[in-house]
Amino acid sequence: MNATNIRRLIFLVILLAVALPLIFNIDLTGRVTDETRQMFDNIEMLQSHSILMVSFDFEASSIAEVRPLAEAILEHACRKELRVVGVSLFAEGTALGEQMLAQVAKKHQLQYGVDYVYLGFRPQYVAAILAMGESIVDEYPADYFGNATAVMPIFRDLKNYNQVDLVVSIADGSMPTYWTEYAVARYDVNLEVALTASMATAFYPYLSSGQIKGLTAGLKGAAEYESLLDCKGGGRRGMFAQSVSQSVVILVIIAGNVVEYFNRRRKWK
Amino acid sequence: MTINRVAIIIAFVTGIFMLVQYFIDAVVVNNLYKTLLDYYQIIFAITMIVGGLTLLRVHLRKLVRFDRHSIFSLATVTAILFMVISSIIFGTGTNSPYQWAFNNIQAPMQATTFSLLAFFVASAAYRGFRVRSKPAAVLAIAALIVLLGRSIFGEMISEHLPSLAGWVLNNPSVAAKRGILVGIGLGSVATALRVILGIERSYL
Repeated sequence: MNATNIRRLIFLVILLAVALPLIFNIDLTGRVTDETRQMFDNIEMLQSHSILMVSFDFEASSIAEVRPLAEAILEHACRKELRVVGVSLFAEGTALGEQMLAQVAKKHQLQYGVDYVYLGFRPQYVAAILAMGESIVDEYPADYFGNATAVMPIFRDLKNYNQVDLVVSIADGSMPTYWTEYAVARYDVNLEVALTASMATAFYPYLSSGQIKGLTAGLKGAAEYESLLDCKGGGRRGMFAQSVSQSVVILVIIAGNVVEYFNRRRKWK
Repeated sequence: MTINRVAIIIAFVTGIFMLVQYFIDAVVVNNLYKTLLDYYQIIFAITMIVGGLTLLRVHLRKLVRFDRHSIFSLATVTAILFMVISSIIFGTGTNSPYQWAFNNIQAPMQATTFSLLAFFVASAAYRGFRVRSKPAAVLAIAALIVLLGRSIFGEMISEHLPSLAGWVLNNPSVAAKRGILVGIGLGSVATALRVILGIERSYL
């Protein structure tokens, strides 16, 4: 079999490995990792009406992976009756963040401007992170919908990061690095991150140093978080498909090495 | 005084101020710091406009030249103009045309493109993880441990696999990553000092 046909075969197997398990809708939830449990516990420990700032730092391309994470964290925040302040440091994440927050707020019948607010996008993330450390209302005189923030009840006792109990950056790139370098280092913010699986390893050094208080990543992280919340969302629905496709990738790696072994043996002979 | 020298002086004064203000808690300094942050965002927003206009100009030129690739330029120009004009006229609210286009065109297109990665990752894994040397063997074994340990089937095979995957991520991986981060940090400090002192002038 030549290289092109092998590639086509791999593509076909991956297609089936992803698509078929989604039809069966089998609920697979494995062991909860220490990182996800730590993240969950940090939110769980917050008092009712504490301020949780959620930064929607992702693009539409990674929506399949970050939506379950965002929904699980927002669900947890609503159950704990936290006051949620939504922001976005990516232009593309702005609309998606608003939709997710509005959906959860509607489900829990939250009052806009009192229980939650969505501030939207600000250009230049470094300047935006630093400016919110001085004054959130000055940085966002109006919210995403154009309402004046200064008169909102949620901002009566919320000036800057000093009143924010926890910041969660839901990201598909390196944005949490800037949150760490500017918000954590300068303003001593408590930061947790929810990431796509491919970005997780980049943030383990920050987690082990204590600069990041909690980390959860990928569809598996979302599934773990959902199991801690005892609810079924996109994470648990997608875990079977992801586990099957991961197994296929493992088999593909083994197959590649078997082919390599026989190629070498043929050359030695 | 040339315009370049003025730019270097501005970079020097601003750089030194931003460095020093971190250690000074005074009203005047804090206000100036906030003003500079505002200007930072304003300048960034203007560069986005410049970028958008440049993109539009490049593709309009390609459209005028008209060849077999012009259809892509037409799509780009139409998309830019539609998003800009519709957001100016109807806003970017929940039921606006801008939001409709974002939800129904841009988001699915980007998600589709990103999902193709699954196929390319599998194909690359077939060729990329072949054990041809000792370092390649270490890479392949680490990849298999993490892949298995992070999947639910791995947990079913052995309860120790997730812990082993966690050890790989929290120890060798963190050590290597931290070394890289320290290197990047030192490089950033050196580059910042070169810019502030006017040695590095590539931004001019």
